[in-house]
Amino acid sequence: MTTLAIERLGKTYANGTEALRNVSLLARSGEIVGLVGGSGCGKTTLLRLTAGLDRPSAGAIAIDGEPIAGTHPKVSAVFQEPRLLPWLTVAGNISFGGRRLPKAETARRVPLLLERIGLADYGARWPKDLSGGQQQRVAIARALIGHPEILLLDEPFSALDAFTRASLHDLLLSLWQELRPTILMVTHDVDEAVLLADRVVVMRPRPGRVQETMPIDLPRPRNRLAAAYDATRRNVLRAIDRSLRAEQPAQASAGGMSPWV
Amino acid sequence: MSLCVAWELAVRSGLAPGRLMPPPSRLFHTAVALAASDELQTHVAATMTRVGIGFGVGAVAGTALGMLTGASTMARRLLDPTVQALRAIPSIAWVPIFILWLGIFETSKLALIALGVFFPVYLGMLSAIQGVDRKLIEVGRVFGFSSLSIMLRITWPAVLPTWIASLRSGLGLGFMFVVAAELMGASEGLGYLLLDGQQMGRADTILVAMIVFALLGKLSDGLLVALTAPLLRWQDTVRSQL
Repeated sequence: MTTLAIERLGKTYANGTEALRNVSLLARSGEIVGLVGGSGCGKTTLLRLTAGLDRPSAGAIAIDGEPIAGTHPKVSAVFQEPRLLPWLTVAGNISFGGRRLPKAETARRVPLLLERIGLADYGARWPKDLSGGQQQRVAIARALIGHPEILLLDEPFSALDAFTRASLHDLLLSLWQELRPTILMVTHDVDEAVLLADRVVVMRPRPGRVQETMPIDLPRPRNRLAAAYDATRRNVLRAIDRSLRAEQPAQASAGGMSPWV
Repeated sequence: MSLCVAWELAVRSGLAPGRLMPPPSRLFHTAVALAASDELQTHVAATMTRVGIGFGVGAVAGTALGMLTGASTMARRLLDPTVQALRAIPSIAWVPIFILWLGIFETSKLALIALGVFFPVYLGMLSAIQGVDRKLIEVGRVFGFSSLSIMLRITWPAVLPTWIASLRSGLGLGFMFVVAAELMGASEGLGYLLLDGQQMGRADTILVAMIVFALLGKLSDGLLVALTAPLLRWQDTVRSQL
């Protein structure tokens, strides 16, 4: 079981934009951490750095105390878009995630996962034949076939309708309970964060920093209609409000110069 | 169709002269006569051999160089400006130098055809590789694929549709240049038949050769599409639904 430690991470892009400043974060083994915050607060940047798709300008990322540079066998990801390879069948796409597994093991796991994501009869279909929600299910299966210890989710449900999203929440939670990966999830949906996460990290924009970290002490399975759920949700919303108000002065002066910004 | 019938009637009734614009029945007789003497077969075989070899050489070279410049920034900086400059030379302008270098026989003809095929295939391949979706490449990286496997398992299938389209336009140009090559001096081939018809004042021979060109071009393009169709079954495009 694996701890993900992000220490004083900073990222400044080549064009001078400072996307992240001094971000530290600890995700304990098997924990779900939700990253929320306004646009431009560097949530996605943080995830890309953790996935090894971009290099940090400062700070370090460590898995179980061991610093990582670049992509890592223990780390897997689901993106905002399904990003399935259109020339591979559904089964082929799931196998694609099992690069590091022996072939026979991949072949054993694919049908199990297809069954698990409710697409048992779809293995030979093309991605184009699937709905958006089904494609995202395949992307989740692809990310989990290698039993990653750290799973990164970049707003994976944001493009889906409410019903599909709810069913994918259930799927994700049940797969998480089975495989227990540490999950770092970016979302702009507070409801989703409170429903899924053990801890919510609220970020503040320009440059992206951590505003505050809030534990979500609600028993699972969580009931969206419970009073405690609602109270927690409001707490997170208040924290987001605070994070946006904190940048207000800077924005006001910029607005004073140009009303169009 | 009705145009054909109208023309046939116009010539038969003496309303129009049939010498420069022979009616369909004459064309048919000419075609049959040419085929019966095996003359047509010889010309078709000669032309198709030239197109086949020229297309093969041009397509392989264009694909290989396009892949190289598409995959490597250094190769692109070194080679692409030169290739683009060469492309600016009208292909027919190469004929005199090819004849000096390669002689007046087959080699210079094949070189001209290969050159014509090369450019569209090269350009198609290069721009296709540069246009591959970064997001899909990232999927390969996250799941631990090496640069080479990403090239083989993501870039290559992603560029296939554009590559095949560029092969088709290359094939079209191959037919264009085989005519140019054969008009400039050949003892057989459909281009020679065109020239022969002109010199003998036989409009019917010329038109038969043109019709055969149309058939061969359409046929080989159809063959190319049919051969590559299984590679593109996954595509979600208008074409795949037609």
